[in-house]
Amino acid sequence: MSSQQPLPNTQQPLDVYGGDEVSALVLDAGYCHTRAGFAGEDVPKSVIPSFYGSIKSGDGEAATYREVFGDECLIPRADLEIKNYMSRSESVVEDWDAATKIWEHTLIKRLQPEKPTPPSKNGLNDPTEDGEGDVAMEDAEEQEKPLAENPLLMTEAPWNSGKAREKAIEIAMENWGCPAFWLSRTPVCAAFAAGKASALVIDVGGANTSVTAIHDGMILKRSIQKSPVGGLWLSQQIRSMWESNDPKIDIVPSFMVENKTPVDAGAPAQAKLRKFPFEIHQSFRAYEEERLLTEYKESVVEVWRGPGRYLNPGNEDLVRSQPGRVFEMPNGSNQMWREQRFRVSEGMWDETAALPTADSIAKGQTIPELIKAAINAVDVDLRPNLLGNIVVTGGTSLLNGFGDRLNNELMAMYPGMKIKLHAPGLTTERRFGAWIGGSILASLGTFHQMWISRKEYEENGAGIVEKRCK
Amino acid sequence: MASHDVRDVLNLPLDAGSRPAKKQKTNVPRPSLKGLAREVQNLGGDNPIAIVPELATFKKRRFGSRKPAARWELRPFRNSARSDQSLHLRHWRKQTEDQARAQDEKDGQNGDNVEKKPEELEDSGFAKFNVQVDIPQYSDDQYNSNLKSDDWTKEETDYLFELARDFDLRWPLIWDRYDYQPKLDEGMTNGEGADSTDPKTAVVPASKGRTLEDLKARYYEVAAKMMAVQKPVQYMTQAEFALHEVMANFNPVSETKRKMFAADALSRSRDEAQEEELLLVEVRRILARQEKLNQERRELYNRLDYPHTEQDINVFKSSTGLQTLLQNLMNVDKTKKRKSIMEANGANTPASAHPSAHPPNHPNSTPVSETRRESIAASSTGRRDSAAGERPERPAKKGAQPERKKLTEQEEQIYGVSHHDRLPSGPTFRYERINKILTTKSNAQHQRITNTLAELDIPSRLNMPTKAVVEEMEKLLNSIGVLLDMRKMNDKIEAEIRLEKAKKAEREKALAPPQPEDEAKAGESEETPTTNGEDKKGDAGVNGDAVDKTNSEAPATNGERNGDAAGESGQSANAESAENGAEDKGVQPESSNGHKRSASVLSASSDKSAKRQKK
Ligand SMILES: Nc1ncnc2c1ncn2[C@@H]1O[C@H](COP(=O)(O)OP(=O)(O)OP(=O)(O)O)[C@@H](O)[C@H]1O
Ligand SMILES: [Mg+2]
Repeated sequence: MSSQQPLPNTQQPLDVYGGDEVSALVLDAGYCHTRAGFAGEDVPKSVIPSFYGSIKSGDGEAATYREVFGDECLIPRADLEIKNYMSRSESVVEDWDAATKIWEHTLIKRLQPEKPTPPSKNGLNDPTEDGEGDVAMEDAEEQEKPLAENPLLMTEAPWNSGKAREKAIEIAMENWGCPAFWLSRTPVCAAFAAGKASALVIDVGGANTSVTAIHDGMILKRSIQKSPVGGLWLSQQIRSMWESNDPKIDIVPSFMVENKTPVDAGAPAQAKLRKFPFEIHQSFRAYEEERLLTEYKESVVEVWRGPGRYLNPGNEDLVRSQPGRVFEMPNGSNQMWREQRFRVSEGMWDETAALPTADSIAKGQTIPELIKAAINAVDVDLRPNLLGNIVVTGGTSLLNGFGDRLNNELMAMYPGMKIKLHAPGLTTERRFGAWIGGSILASLGTFHQMWISRKEYEENGAGIVEKRCK
Repeated sequence: MASHDVRDVLNLPLDAGSRPAKKQKTNVPRPSLKGLAREVQNLGGDNPIAIVPELATFKKRRFGSRKPAARWELRPFRNSARSDQSLHLRHWRKQTEDQARAQDEKDGQNGDNVEKKPEELEDSGFAKFNVQVDIPQYSDDQYNSNLKSDDWTKEETDYLFELARDFDLRWPLIWDRYDYQPKLDEGMTNGEGADSTDPKTAVVPASKGRTLEDLKARYYEVAAKMMAVQKPVQYMTQAEFALHEVMANFNPVSETKRKMFAADALSRSRDEAQEEELLLVEVRRILARQEKLNQERRELYNRLDYPHTEQDINVFKSSTGLQTLLQNLMNVDKTKKRKSIMEANGANTPASAHPSAHPPNHPNSTPVSETRRESIAASSTGRRDSAAGERPERPAKKGAQPERKKLTEQEEQIYGVSHHDRLPSGPTFRYERINKILTTKSNAQHQRITNTLAELDIPSRLNMPTKAVVEEMEKLLNSIGVLLDMRKMNDKIEAEIRLEKAKKAEREKALAPPQPEDEAKAGESEETPTTNGEDKKGDAGVNGDAVDKTNSEAPATNGERNGDAAGESGQSANAESAENGAEDKGVQPESSNGHKRSASVLSASSDKSAKRQKK
């Protein structure tokens, strides 16, 4: 390298971080959130829920549906149903039509500058009552693809299917006209975000938790471990706990409360509920409840830090003797939470501690078991390095005490090994880990040679994504 | 409101401090201010308010650097590392001068020749980071002639090499993705390429088939063979050969074993891990202690350097001398002991070279002095040894070392070390020893010896009296002495025999004796020479042996060869003399002949030593 002549100043893109930005876009779709932004930035510009509203108009057979996207649209209204375009069990795209729309919403509407409407479309040049305008409009659309200037990097779950991958490149190339495209696995990106090319990535997200070994920037497929023990599962645990609480706690999401009066801890709520002149769809209520539960997770739930399990004798008594946390429901009722707040999260580590819910988990689905299985599925020589480079990412890993417990479990499992967790303290880095990694990747100068170009796509078809993005 | 008004209000003396102010006022001409500024200035009264002067320089600089803003443009570029060159990404770059000018012109002409762009697209500076590993390739023929294996089909080998190329030889990945399906149906597998990763099978089940070691073994086997095919082993460079060897000698079994051990180490229980940790700590401690000990010992040796005695050792040779020596040693010992005790008390004597390395109140002062005494004794004896030795090259330093290096025989020769039971006093010249032998003899004898030497062509005075030469010379002289004695004796006996014969003849003549008696006499006389010859033969043999030994011990550089040669000559001489013995049977004076022979043997060997001398 040094033998080469130094490049002239204008030509020298080799900054310290080797970045060379080509205004690429990065899209990271999860079950809970869809994140999008420009490569090279450190947080996604646009984060919208993967839940979207579907508004029904008309009745019966003639009913038509209109989708609305973004938090601001998810408000109580008539005929609004909340849906998710991702699959609950897999965290991969399920509804491609909705996916295309929601992605267009975030990538084009939110991230692209408002473009002047082409003259053929802006209505000023319409020939009066010609009736032929539609044809001209389609022509205009053919010419101008919305993302013709921006390479696109998308993330996907490591177990994503080949068909889904091909579909993704099709949309990017055909619908949006991207000049270049790349698909990258979320754990790989999360590892990159932590500055590591080889790591064991523990992603505790919304719909599920996965453990994946990364070697030299590629996933080791045999190591992939996945279990439903994620944010939504934890919400189920909390519901179950609230259900069996004394007094039983009714979940009243914020949108239902008109006003409230403060009450003592444990006292029944005194609140006036809002009345809606239309029926609130169950899915909307569930979505709102989930928000409440997330708030509860953020502020109350804690993970027993160990050592040992929470159910080991003595621990519960110890916790009971320590100050608890008060949580006030939107309707004003409040309560002090002590041992329960540890109990709900214990199922992630110890299947015997899981509260009875609809989807109960097996031993192999707890986080320590996932890690063990993942480690055992890789070559012995890699294991020490992986244990020394553990990357923790995903929203649910933000639970209080999560890192400590993980560390303790690992130390107990692999005594004598050097174990090092990389768990960024910045919440954005954890919630957007995969996106940030994608952003880094897509802004690297050395990545230019990786992109699947439009021409390659046209020559090889969608199958090229399987060949290139390994 | 002027300042004196304020003073008035505050009851301050009117003129206090006003004078210097006035002076200043006269010095600094009041700027003529207007409006509010003047009022503010007036507030200060006689002490003008310090107002930071307005500096024009800052403003000036701002205006000075006003250049047209740098132009940036979204410039397309290509990346030569890509397999397809169609992708032109665009990044923001500062416009270079000429480009900017061109831009200006273009602005001026307003889109006259806008499309002069696609001349040469700049290449990405990152293209050079694209490196590819070299995966060996083989043709069908090559495969069939060299690479066939019972365990691997060609298809699977191809598959392995394709994966190796795809993953740049990153074995964990190759093994991870290795999923070879023996060809069922061409279309099936191809069609399933995409399907194979549908949700259920995407998580590849751990394959029972090939282990990582199997894959590596096959790859290295093929790679090594292909390397050898392309370039025969004997023509490879060092590096290539090393690589070839490594690949050819890959041992999957030991590799598997190693991995098993590694896996075991990973699955240690907490107790085991702890134990190991403890052991490690222990080992580290022991090592540290060892280090310290060594350090101390080294220091000790440094200090125990041998005490110099300038006196002549002859003084100590008598019993009274020994007494004084003992006394001296005791004294030295005492002072040393005191010194080390003083050190132990923390007083830094200038003699202690490394006070820091020798911590105070270290409890080893006594052993120190003990070792000292021992080594003093040892060294002094060593000194005596060497001083009396052949070469005064002072191995005294060595003597001071406790583990005195045992010299091998060869080394002793090289260094000229010799051991003596008894030594004459004072230095002597070696050639004097030879002279002494000669001078002790009578004049006639001396003459005769010199004659013999002349006969043997050996100078009576040695040119180079090395130890070996002198020894040989001594032997030679001794032999000559014996020879001369024998000759004298022989002459005497011969004369006697002649006398007796004459007498007998006289008597025979007188008595006419009978025949048979004479015959018996002859038989007798026949017997004597044979025994004589045998004797001589044995002698010569011994001599030859001795020569052999001494020669091989001689400190010559080519001592061994010489020794061999001498031994050989000794042997041949031996044989010769035996022959002679047989030949000269019946000849009366052959005993002297035998003597001569052995002497010539000696001379032959001493000839050699003489030659060596010349060298
Ligand atoms: N501070 C917090 N403490 C606990 N849980 C949190 C916190 N913040 C977010 N969560 C939970 O994290 C989950 C969302 O995580 P994340 O955004 O990583 O999921 P996702 O990537 O969209 O989903 P997936 O990765 O499963 O497809 C939600 O279930 C939310 O309740
Ligand atoms: Mg996620």
